[in-house]
Formats: sequence, structure tokens, C-alpha cells
Amino acid sequence: MEQFVQQFLNGLTVGSGYALVALGYTMVYGVLKLINFAHGDLFMLGAYLALSTTLTLLAAGVATPWVVVLAAFAASMSLVGLTGVFIERTAYRPLRRATRLAPVVSALGAAVVIQNGVMLAYGANYQVFPEGLVAVGGWRVAGMTIPLFRVAMLVVSLCLMGILYLFVQRTTVGAAIRAVSLDHDTARLMGIDVDRIIMLVFLIGPALGAAAGIMIGLYYRQIHFTMGWVYGLKAFTAAILGGIGNIPGAMVGGMILGLFETLAAGYISSAWKDAFAFLLLIAILVVRPTGLLGERVAEKL
Amino acid sequence: MRKILVLAVVAVLAVSVVACAQKPKEKPTIKIGVQEALTGDWAYEGQGILNAVNLLAEQVNSAGGLLDGRKVEIIPGDNKSDAKESALSAQKLINSGVIAVIGSYGSTVTEAAQKLYDEKGIVHIATASTATRLTEHGYKRFFRICSSDDRQGLCAADLIVNKLGLKKVAIIHDNTTYAKGLADWTKKYLEERGANIVFFDALTPKEKDYTAILTRVKAAQPEVWYYTGYYPEAALLVRQAADIGLKAQFMTGDASNNPEFVRLAGVEYAKGALITTPPQPADLPYPEAKKFLEDYKAKFGKYPESIWSLMGADAFRVLVEAIKQTNSDDPGKIADYLHNQLKNFPGITGPIEGFDERGERKGSTYEVYTVNDQGQIVPYKK
Amino acid sequence: MLRVPPKFWAGLVIAVALVYPWVVNDYWVDVMNFCGIYMLLGLSLNIIVGYAGLFNLGHAAFYAVGAYTTAILSTRFGVSTLVLLPVAALAAAAFAYAISRPIIHLRGDYLCVVTIGFGEIVRIALINNPGGLTGGVNGIIGIPRPSLGPLAIRTVDGYYYFILALVVLSVWAMRRLEASRIGRAWTCIREDETAAEAMGIDTASLKLLAFVLGAAGAGIAGNVYASKMTLIAPESFNFWESCVMFSIVVLGGAGSIPGVIVASLGMAALPELFREFARARLLVFGLAMVLMMIFRPQGLWPSTHWRRQVEREREPGVTPTPAVGSPSR
Repeated sequence: MEQFVQQFLNGLTVGSGYALVALGYTMVYGVLKLINFAHGDLFMLGAYLALSTTLTLLAAGVATPWVVVLAAFAASMSLVGLTGVFIERTAYRPLRRATRLAPVVSALGAAVVIQNGVMLAYGANYQVFPEGLVAVGGWRVAGMTIPLFRVAMLVVSLCLMGILYLFVQRTTVGAAIRAVSLDHDTARLMGIDVDRIIMLVFLIGPALGAAAGIMIGLYYRQIHFTMGWVYGLKAFTAAILGGIGNIPGAMVGGMILGLFETLAAGYISSAWKDAFAFLLLIAILVVRPTGLLGERVAEKL
Repeated sequence: MRKILVLAVVAVLAVSVVACAQKPKEKPTIKIGVQEALTGDWAYEGQGILNAVNLLAEQVNSAGGLLDGRKVEIIPGDNKSDAKESALSAQKLINSGVIAVIGSYGSTVTEAAQKLYDEKGIVHIATASTATRLTEHGYKRFFRICSSDDRQGLCAADLIVNKLGLKKVAIIHDNTTYAKGLADWTKKYLEERGANIVFFDALTPKEKDYTAILTRVKAAQPEVWYYTGYYPEAALLVRQAADIGLKAQFMTGDASNNPEFVRLAGVEYAKGALITTPPQPADLPYPEAKKFLEDYKAKFGKYPESIWSLMGADAFRVLVEAIKQTNSDDPGKIADYLHNQLKNFPGITGPIEGFDERGERKGSTYEVYTVNDQGQIVPYKK
Repeated sequence: MLRVPPKFWAGLVIAVALVYPWVVNDYWVDVMNFCGIYMLLGLSLNIIVGYAGLFNLGHAAFYAVGAYTTAILSTRFGVSTLVLLPVAALAAAAFAYAISRPIIHLRGDYLCVVTIGFGEIVRIALINNPGGLTGGVNGIIGIPRPSLGPLAIRTVDGYYYFILALVVLSVWAMRRLEASRIGRAWTCIREDETAAEAMGIDTASLKLLAFVLGAAGAGIAGNVYASKMTLIAPESFNFWESCVMFSIVVLGGAGSIPGVIVASLGMAALPELFREFARARLLVFGLAMVLMMIFRPQGLWPSTHWRRQVEREREPGVTPTPAVGSPSR
């Protein structure tokens, strides 16, 4: 029983990370019908930029951990958001009227560029976040150790997701985003500046991914330029699982994927873990072809 | 438009024709290939090995070369840590007219190239490929300068049962050729010595969160747990083990014998870990080793960090010795010399007693190291 | 533009191809060998992505099935790898049928992620070595060269002609397919699936057929790869390989046979020419992909098959509407 609870908590933390990155995928897909394969690498970029910020600040003599961490979040999220906008402008916007396939290859190419750019800039080695930035240790509850930071990660993720959800559901801008997800032309007719909205989506989505990357970096401490590829793939799976284009879907999908993966690794076999995750996805899609919560994009007839 | 493209295709072909019009001609230099991962996952190790060989080649050449003044030419080949690329780069080296190849780090890439070299009769010395399978194919000109996984497994088993007196063991690997091989051998030798394997499974490398598998390990209550994979995961494992309260003795294999392991894990978590490994460069007592370390520092600005660079250096040195003693650059004669006549050659990594008929280096280079409280990897003294 | 029939250019290319091994050294012939295998893979994926318009990013799974079938049957039962060529194709096709059937009704991007999933599941299964069949992460070694009695293909040149023959055969087969009713039906499905259904086309069966035929082609490529390398390991069949194949099809021009050929040449041969740029090589590669798509999203050599059809059938006085590719869905 204790093992189950421990694994459950493990799964929640893993899942919250996936959920944050999945949000980026789902939002971009919602407005552009595009699978942004470069998104996983933006997550990785977030971690690296946070590292640079942290190291610079520490070298400059800033000693208070929470100041450093907050600065890292602010700097990294905004820079990655801007990178997202840049990628949209250069690699995706010219292809809006082209076939469905071209943007995918462009996205793959962008992913390769980001990955290798980071490798050339930072080196091929694993990079490490400095010690002492985040609280280590945990609570001992009923024979289990619950690491403090994992709970923090979970809470922060949920907060960010909550804020995003409220933003999209309750504000005018959010309504505009939802409108653009449904139909570009009609949205334009309604007076919405579609390009601006898309830009905004590319600002927010990658920023969220960056937040996930920063937390991963702070907690696990080691980062590598290849870490975005697989993580992004899993997050994309989570987005599809929940229903692509559907924001609550991405959150649910991320959590479920994380939980399922961890429990499968914990109880069946760690070696087959990823296979189980994909099998879950396939099983759900066979039964519910548009994902668990259904998609929020209009099917063009 | 289409016509332009066809012409472009023809042009590409023509360019490649011209680019490789220099077919093998006269060979005034003695060409030795170094096939390593110069890019890709293990570039860190591959480049170190190449540096080591280049250093020694320079020394040989400035001392007058070999076989009456012929210079040694080192030709690098990049296998990008990938099997298919390994086959291609092997082909390229063969085409350059090498008589011998040193390489590679990583058993799978070495294996991909082995057969090609064997078909052309080129001497192939593996520097950092420990899968036992490599010497079981019967390739007459293949040698291995490092020790193989079964020796390391033996070392691990001895450590656990004989030196530490522990019985309940958990083993984790990562499903790569090297790690799984080491895990299997360790399991075998442990069972022979009456130990009890309470856990045996693989994790997926390149991920971050291993709490799932660690929770299972903890539930199995081992007295010692052995991770046979590579240092990035090892670092994550020690940290997360502490997080979930897994307190058993941690052991890892030679792929973690690397300052990166301590750096990534943090001294607090890494200290006390035991590592089965060939000795560290700085701990080698041999005069040849000390001289090599100083020369390396003089040329590259820092000491070589990895024992594999020294293995590469030794591979080159035995080749040079063989060429000198047989007074020829014929691969057949070199191979023959290495099999039958090389005895007690003073190697940088220790005295090389010789190679057996399968090409294995005789004896074992494995020892036990530990991470001390300052985060240094030092020999383990019980 | 010169009024030279396309057949002339095809003939020229084949002539150059035949002479190639005589002019260059073994290494460059070998590069072309791997390039040829990519051509086979690209052509087979072209059926799925280019003709039927299905999003397949897990093609490496079929490739793997072909390669491993060949490897297992030849190393355990001593069957000649040449004989196993059709067997590999069949195995891959059967596998494709089995896994595609439950998911064939999925829409575009969902299908995409499911194909990725299948690719990964296959790769993980290969690594974990169920039943001791696949040799786990070490893969399978000692795969014999293709042979028929005393004749065997052992040399680099020998492989070159073997692969060239297979590529020519594939191109021929695909041209026939393109022009057939099946090809036209696929085009219909690709352009507008709902309309195709309304026309009475059995979209599910035809999509399945695309997967099956594409898989068969990949199976053949897998067989050749296995016997050429004589050892195969799961790491050669990962997601990135599927991405490379997919990119070859799109960069060449989805649905276009010459496009796939040219793109394969580019993908496989050009990195060899730029080996010296070692560390930045992949970066340049990624950049090239993005630029290619921005400046020429229809691919290097877009399919003109249908445009020519329309032009041939055009009535005087009617302006044809371009039907290349399908706009945003």
C-alpha cells in the first residue's frame, strides 16, 4: 500500500510536467492545426536559459535562492516565449497556406536546429544546476518520504494550468483564442487580429513549456540538449490522449499519462514502460477517436 | 525547372566523382585509423581517445618515424555513436588504406565495423568495448586492449560477496549492450557465490525520473544495489534514491568512473558509492603512465580524465611495437606478433601480459574505487 | 524548355547509375548503397503519405519487421536471405495489416501519433527481447549474404547493382500503381476524404491497402539492410529514422517518384560530402529542412502526374485549376 501511494505521488509529479508541456502543444494545435515538433526542444531551451540566468546571478553575487529562482523563471519563460514567436514567424507563418505536410517537416527541422544550436553553444556534456537553490529533503509520512520539491512542482504546475484555464475561459483575449481555434476566417470577420492571437499563443505555450523545463532542471539538476525530444513526444501523446486542442484535456492527459507510466513501471516492468504508455494511447483512441475529453476544433466538412 | 533539377542531380554525382577521384595511390605513410564517436552521445570519450593517439603519433614521428623514416599517419573516422555510421566510416577508413584501426568506445558500434575490417584483413584493436561477444566471433585480427565485461562482473561479485559480505543484491541495467552484458555476468557470478538477486530489471536511459523503479528496488530490500549503466543515469539514481529513502550501498560500473558522475550527482549524494573500474589515469603507478599524463597535459592543457583515452594510447603503442619488432606493416604479421610474441609489454594502463588466441588481453584490469567525502574518485581500501 | 521526352532523362540517369561504380571508389559506392536503401524506404512511404495522404511517422517499424524477419529466419533456419526477400515483404505487410486495422479510421493527426506509438512499441519490444527472439539490444549478428547456390552478393559493387535493380523495379511498380484505379482512388481520398466516401470509394479498405503496400516496400528495404550490414540492432529503427524517411517524402514532393529519388540522394549523400563540418553538420541539416519548406513547400520535384493528366484531358477553352497538395484541413 505504501508503495502504491509512493508510486502514485511519483506519477503525479511526472504527470504535471507532461501536462505543462502538453498545454503548449494543444494550444498551438488549436489555432494552427499544426503539431509543433519543436516544442519539446523549447522545453529544453527553457531549462538551459534558466541555468544561464542562475549561474550569472550567482556569479554576480546574488545570494538569496528564491530571488535567483524567480529571476530564472521570469527570464527563461519570457525568452523562450519570444523564441516561440520567432519560430512561428520564420518557420510556420510562410507555410500557412501550404499543404499539411510541409509545416511538419519545417517543425522537425526547427527542432534539430534548436537542439544542435544548444549543443554548440553549451557543449555536448550534461550541464548541472548549482546546489542549494531549492529545498531538499522531504516529509516523512507513514514510512514514506515525500520530497518537498515534488509537491512544490505539482502545486506550481496546477497553478499555472489554473491560470491558463481561467485566462482562456474568462477573458476576452481568451475568447479570441478560442475563436481562432474554431475558424480563422470567421474570427477575422469578427474583428480579431488572427496573426496577433497566434503570436500570443506561441508566446504562452512555449513559456509554459519553459516553466516545466526550469522545474525539471532545478529538481533533477542535470540537463542535456537531447532531453527535449523524448519528453516532447510524451507530452504530445498526452495532449492527444486528452483531446487535441482541448486545454483541460491536455492537463488531464498529462496527469493520466504520468500516472499510468509510473504505475506500469512500478508494478509491471520498468523496461516496457514507454510501450505501455503508447498502448494506453492507442487503446483510448480506438475507443474514443478524438481523445478522452474530445477535441475543441471544428471538423471541416 | 525539371531540367535544372536533373542537371543538378547529374552535377551532384559529377562532383562526388571528382571529389573522390583520388583513388588509393602510393602509400608512403603508415596509415592507422582511429574510429571513434567524434560526434554524438559519446563524443566526450571518442575525442579523448583520438587526442591520445595523435599525441603519441606525433612523438613517434618526431623521433624519426617507423620502418626507415616512414611517418605514421592517423586517420580519424567518426562513427557518430551509431552502428550504421560505424559501418560507413569503416568503409571510408578501409578505402584510405589503413593497415590497422583503433576503436571504438561502445560495443555496438565496434561490432558493426568488426566484420568489415576482418573481411579486408585489417588489424582492429578495440579500446573501450567490453561486451564479451566481440572476441567470440573468431576474427583473427581483432584485439581488445581493455578488459571485458565478464572480468568486471567477476570483480563486482567478489566485492559484494567476499569483501563486503553482503547477500541481497539488486541489479539495474539500461538495456544497452554493455550494461546488460555486465549485469548478466554479475548476476551469474553472484549466484555462483550464493548471493540472492532480489531485483533485476532495466530502466529507460535518457529520462529524468526514476522514482518508479527505485521504489520497487526499495520494496525488495536489498543490502546493496548495482547500476551497470552510464553516468548520467547513475547520478540521477543516487539523488532520487536518497529522496525516497533507499539506503542500501550503491555500486556502479566503469561507465560511471568519471568525474561527471560526481558533478551531476553532487558530492553529498555521490560519496560512498563504490565503482568497479579499471584504474584511474592519475592512480596508475607506472612510469609510462606518468610520462604520458605529463605529455598529454603539455599538449592539450589538461590531464586526460578518462581511462579510455589511455587505453587508446596503449592500443597505439602495441601497434607501434608490433611494427617495429616484425619490421613490417603487413597486418597479418602484426596480428601474428600480437597473438604470439607480445609478452609483458609495459603498458600505460598496466603491464600487458599478452593477448590470447581470441584477442583478449590477458589478466584483468578491474579494481574497486569509491567516491570520498571530497567528491574525488579514489581507490577503495577496505 | 526542351521538347525532350521524360524517358530520355530517365535513360540518362540510369546510364549514369550503371557506370557509377566504375568511376568512383568503394566508399562512395557504399554511400550510394545506403542511399538506395533510403530510396526504397522513401518510395514505400510515398505510397502511404504521398498517394493516400496518410500521416505515417512510424515507418521504421515496418522496416524493422522486414529486417528482423530476415535476420531471425536466416540465422535460425538457414534460409537464404535472397529467398527471404518476399517473405520479409509479406511479414511487414501482414504486420501492417494487423496493426492498422483497428486504427484506420482515425483522423490525420491522431493517426500520426498512433504511428509514432507503434514505431516506439516495436523498438522497445525489440530491445526487451521477448522469448529470446530478437537478441535484445545486441541485435542479431551473423546474417548471411544473399546467395543463390554458388553466386553470392558480397562486394560493395555487387550490392550496388542489386539495390539499383530493386529501386528500378520499385519505381516501375509505383508508376503502374499511380496510374491505376487504386492510385486515382487514393488521390481522391487524399484530396477530400468526405467527398471520396460520397463517391462510393471504400476509404477504409484503400487506406489499409496503402499501409500494407507501403509496409511491404519497407520490408524489402529491411531485408536488404539486414543482409548488407550482417548485423542489426534496435537502435537503427528508432523514431528519428522514421522522421528522416518522412522528410525525404515531403522534401522531394509528396506523391512524386522523382522527388523521392532526388530527396534520398540529398538526405543520404550530402551529409557525406560535408563530413568535415562535423559538429555543425546536423544544425545545417535542420536549417536546410526549414529553408527548403519555406521556399519550396511543394517539394523539390512536385508530382506532376495529375497536372499532366488534367492537361491532357483538358477541353479547349477551359482553364484547369491547380490541384497540387491539399490546403489546410
